Amino acid sequence: MKSELCFSETPAVSITITQAMAYLFCPRFTYFEECLGIPEHEETRFKVLMGREVHARKIKINPDYLRKRINVVRKAVSVYLASPTLQLRGIVDEVLWLADGTLAPLEYKFAEYRPFVFGTHRTQLCLQALLISEAFAAPVTRGYLVYVRSKNFLREVPFRPNDFHTARRAVQEVLRIIQSGRFPRQRGTAAQCADCCYRNLCV
Amino acid sequence: MLVWVVYDIEKNPVRSKVAKACLNAGIYRVQKSVFLGELNATQVDELALRIKHLIDEQRDSVYIFPMCREDFGHVRLLGQAFDKELVTDEVRALFL
Repeated sequence: MKSELCFSETPAVSITITQAMAYLFCPRFTYFEECLGIPEHEETRFKVLMGREVHARKIKINPDYLRKRINVVRKAVSVYLASPTLQLRGIVDEVLWLADGTLAPLEYKFAEYRPFVFGTHRTQLCLQALLISEAFAAPVTRGYLVYVRSKNFLREVPFRPNDFHTARRAVQEVLRIIQSGRFPRQRGTAAQCADCCYRNLCV
Repeated sequence: MLVWVVYDIEKNPVRSKVAKACLNAGIYRVQKSVFLGELNATQVDELALRIKHLIDEQRDSVYIFPMCREDFGHVRLLGQAFDKELVTDEVRALFL
């Protein structure tokens, strides 16, 4: 007899945007952290601590400031969003209401400006965009990154249709690894592996 | 990459903290205010940020020099030499 699952009664499992970003860094990161429960100990990384400090400061300083240059008409800071349908939750540094009627996520990065956008940063903005779009029922066509270590350089990141597909797939993959407990293939480059906190465990 | 960290720091507590940060980053003390060792780009960036956070930028000075292995081969040592193999992480075990 075929068993049928009733998805409407299944409690919604959700992951955080950070978990999805960790998966994009390397799927084994998800395995070590979520399946084996080995903590990352990110609090020991100086840059992480500095980044947290910057986030805390940015939220407090000048909360009414609107970026007129990109036609912001309203903003909300440190917005917690969750969606059972997307199986995703997370905090957006700033949600911007733009003059053209669209919304956009803005993310502060304790990093220096590079002439390209990292895939993890793009996907982070995409996931935030999906949450914003659902929560506020408005279109989200682009996101913004602020590079704190490059004099708060503001960069616009227009979304491509494929970006949302990649972002949704990352969420599903994280859930699949957590639920199946399968040891995934590594994806990191040599430079990433050298800097990974699980390098001594990873085979 | 191989990195030299050379500093001139006025206050003793700050100097100690910078020395400790260098040792914690995994580089070796070759002279009182000179450290040398193998670090990757992220580690160099993190060490630079940490030192910048500690020092008084108006009074102290810290140089972080990256160096390629080819140039390191041309380093000339006069007097007491440091262990070249140790600072390049070629010594994997100190005890057998």
